[in-house]
Amino acid sequence: MSTELTRIIELFQLPFMQRALLGGILTGLMGGMLGSFTILRQLSFFSDALGHSALLGISIGLLIGINPSVVLLPFAVCFALGVTYLLERTRLWTDALLNIIYSSSLAIAIITLSFVGQYKGGLNNLLFGDILAVRELDLIFSAVLLLVCIVFIGLTLRTQMLLTLHEPLAIARGVSVFLHRTAFIVLLSLVVGISIKAIGVLLVSAFVVIPACAARLLSRTFTNYVVLSAGLGALSAVIGMVVSAAFNLPSGPSIVATQLTIFLTAMALPRLRVLGQG
Amino acid sequence: MKEVVLAVEQLTVYRETYAAVQDVSFELEAGTDTAIVGPNGAGKSTLVQAILGILPRQAGDVFILGQPLSRRGFLTPAIRQQIAYLPQNFLFDRRIPITVEELVGLGWDKLGFQVPWANRRKRRYAIREALARVDAAHLSHQLISGLSGGETKRVLLAYCLVHPRRLLLLDEAPAGLDVRGESEFYQLLYQLKREQGWAILQISHDLDMVRRNCDRVLCLNRTLLCQGIPEVALSPDNLSAAYGSEFVRYRHQH
Repeated sequence: MSTELTRIIELFQLPFMQRALLGGILTGLMGGMLGSFTILRQLSFFSDALGHSALLGISIGLLIGINPSVVLLPFAVCFALGVTYLLERTRLWTDALLNIIYSSSLAIAIITLSFVGQYKGGLNNLLFGDILAVRELDLIFSAVLLLVCIVFIGLTLRTQMLLTLHEPLAIARGVSVFLHRTAFIVLLSLVVGISIKAIGVLLVSAFVVIPACAARLLSRTFTNYVVLSAGLGALSAVIGMVVSAAFNLPSGPSIVATQLTIFLTAMALPRLRVLGQG
Repeated sequence: MKEVVLAVEQLTVYRETYAAVQDVSFELEAGTDTAIVGPNGAGKSTLVQAILGILPRQAGDVFILGQPLSRRGFLTPAIRQQIAYLPQNFLFDRRIPITVEELVGLGWDKLGFQVPWANRRKRRYAIREALARVDAAHLSHQLISGLSGGETKRVLLAYCLVHPRRLLLLDEAPAGLDVRGESEFYQLLYQLKREQGWAILQISHDLDMVRRNCDRVLCLNRTLLCQGIPEVALSPDNLSAAYGSEFVRYRHQH
């Protein structure tokens, strides 16, 4: 047991593991914070579609020979704004439309990738991410974005709350729904875009949705809910990384499994309390 | 002459392809209470929402406390802070975890960029006072999803009350309450109106309440059919013009 512990501690002394851990924490904090609003505004599926479609951005980057990391962020933002515009302009159901968008961009992305010979082996990494490949520049980017998220959400917290609760009430108070919606979507797409390298296109939305849902089950006030959601995002990243190091499991999926465990615990908690009293 | 809090000039609002409100003009003086009456689909909610900038208008002007409402619905924050709006049926997602205290606090905030802990003491004091005034202090830590209909209305009045306002726009504010709840709501509303000096523009279906309490009445059916003191505006002739003659016969028989 103690040798196992020593092995894990030694592992986390390696720079790439430290970067992975820090990257996980940053992503967990951002995903949790924005996620708390995302699920209440019923944009969960939107973040999922955004993640899946990011593969298209990556594959286009690979095809024309630009570093995918460079293409990804502008692609995610443009894509998100385009989809939002489309959703507002059409009379179709949001989830149906999002389904069309993400499955077709996934299909086109895979076709595009088939033209990029040397990347065929890397598909697994694109789908599930490679948190161990996080570099210093990625960390700096994430840290800056986290700061932007904290400042923006912090300074407009009350506006965000009223907008989430009741749009007409917010408009009556002079809040510009369009500006706030756009700003939020841009931030969300940046967070999704920046997290994709580490967690992959398939799992990225878990970081936005699962900690927020767990926090919702555990919170009695809105402010606590937002803070707790970010906290659970970071906590699950730490636990997930340790578990993945200890048992030599893939990191991204380990973190998501940890999020699920926390969520299930949050679901079971009231029932456990009742059992305890009975 | 009294100060004009709200002036609406030749307002026209289209919904889809038809004019839901056409060429409506009226003024609201400080501290007075005006009711908008009219049948379903007469454009009452549309009128109120256009005044607030929630719906865009196609023609006409709206002045709130002397300031014109821009085409895109802009008013300075200082003016916005002095208006409160209670929608018909305050429908919200009941899964949103927000407490009574937090909701009332949103009424106090200016909603620009500010750190969440700005003026913490003053804010908390204002919230506590407002909740106590509507007899809801004991609810402050409850989630709003757990409130009864009557409690929700009282908390919403605290949301209006928590910051000094000049103008209240109510879209059938007591909708969903039973007879007793409704009369309690109006009792509280008019007490607060006297204390706070609110000017009120409210949509109402309760013509007896309007007769008892309101200073002026606007009869609306797409266009403004008549306006004046309740005795005049709610005369049988004017009512039949607004609601149709069947309605007036019905009211006179009962």
